Amino acid sequence: MDKLEHELKQDAARIRADVTPELRARIEASLRAARLDRRESRDVRPGSYFWWFSGLTGVAATLLVVALLNRAGDPDTVAPDAPPANVVVVRGDTVDVRLVPLDVRNADFTEPLEDELEKLKSDLEKARDEVERDIRFSF
Amino acid sequence: MKSDEQLVEEAKHGSEAAFTELVTRYQQKLLRFLVARSASRADAEDAVQDTFVNAYRYLDSYRPAWRFSTWLYRIAIRNAARQAMPATEEIGEQADPEADPLADCVEQSERRNLWLIAKRDLSADAFTALWLRYAEDMSVKEVAVALNRPVSWTKVTLFRSRNVMARALEAEDRIGRQGDVYGQAGT
Repeated sequence: MDKLEHELKQDAARIRADVTPELRARIEASLRAARLDRRESRDVRPGSYFWWFSGLTGVAATLLVVALLNRAGDPDTVAPDAPPANVVVVRGDTVDVRLVPLDVRNADFTEPLEDELEKLKSDLEKARDEVERDIRFSF
Repeated sequence: MKSDEQLVEEAKHGSEAAFTELVTRYQQKLLRFLVARSASRADAEDAVQDTFVNAYRYLDSYRPAWRFSTWLYRIAIRNAARQAMPATEEIGEQADPEADPLADCVEQSERRNLWLIAKRDLSADAFTALWLRYAEDMSVKEVAVALNRPVSWTKVTLFRSRNVMARALEAEDRIGRQGDVYGQAGT
């Protein structure tokens, strides 16, 4: 330890910092209050069963919603005929081929394209009429 | 005698006596540190009180990877910083050196207390780093953890602060020698 370190240590020890009885009483009083707060918060804190029950309730509610949505299907949608898909299962030396019926429904993605096709058809009709009229005038 | 860490474990499991023992061990050390750092003795006492209350409240978050004293000083530094502390420059500019609360608390000796000079010439963090290293015998790593600073910053700050204080000590010694010479000439 060099001289500076020694002097710093000595000078720190020279600083008077007596803990007065008032300060000691203040610290004890505030700690007492903190202990009460801690005990109250521990009493209020829910036990582990609470989290289990709340988790199970959430899972049950989710399953109920899924079941209700599946039961109330869309009555307007008509499933077109779709060929069942083949599933090949290999068991040892034998090969099983099973047919799995697929629930296929029309998607609404093509609706705007169909409208466009109708418009193009009517435009073509008009154009053909005009051409025929022009031919009639010229001959 | 039980170690600090053993007492903390007991306090975590509800032992009030264990935490009281920790308070008894550290109250004077903390008060001395905070008196040296704070703007007034009242602020220092408030900070000591808040430090123990916060330590008790957040005892569960203490991890024994670091010493309990490092963790406690970290809380104390945060509490001291939160208080409305005048800047170090303001303290240095005070016309009356007796207005500094630290000046009231240092015993009269032949030369000025080095911590008075440190408080005047160093930043709050540099002062704290120097105090923790030399007054509390913490390692550089522990000082860095207590200050929430990188180790490299702590090393550089300690090096610069030591230089400042070494010059101050030299100047104080020179003044002391001159005083001796004048004293002898006067007799």
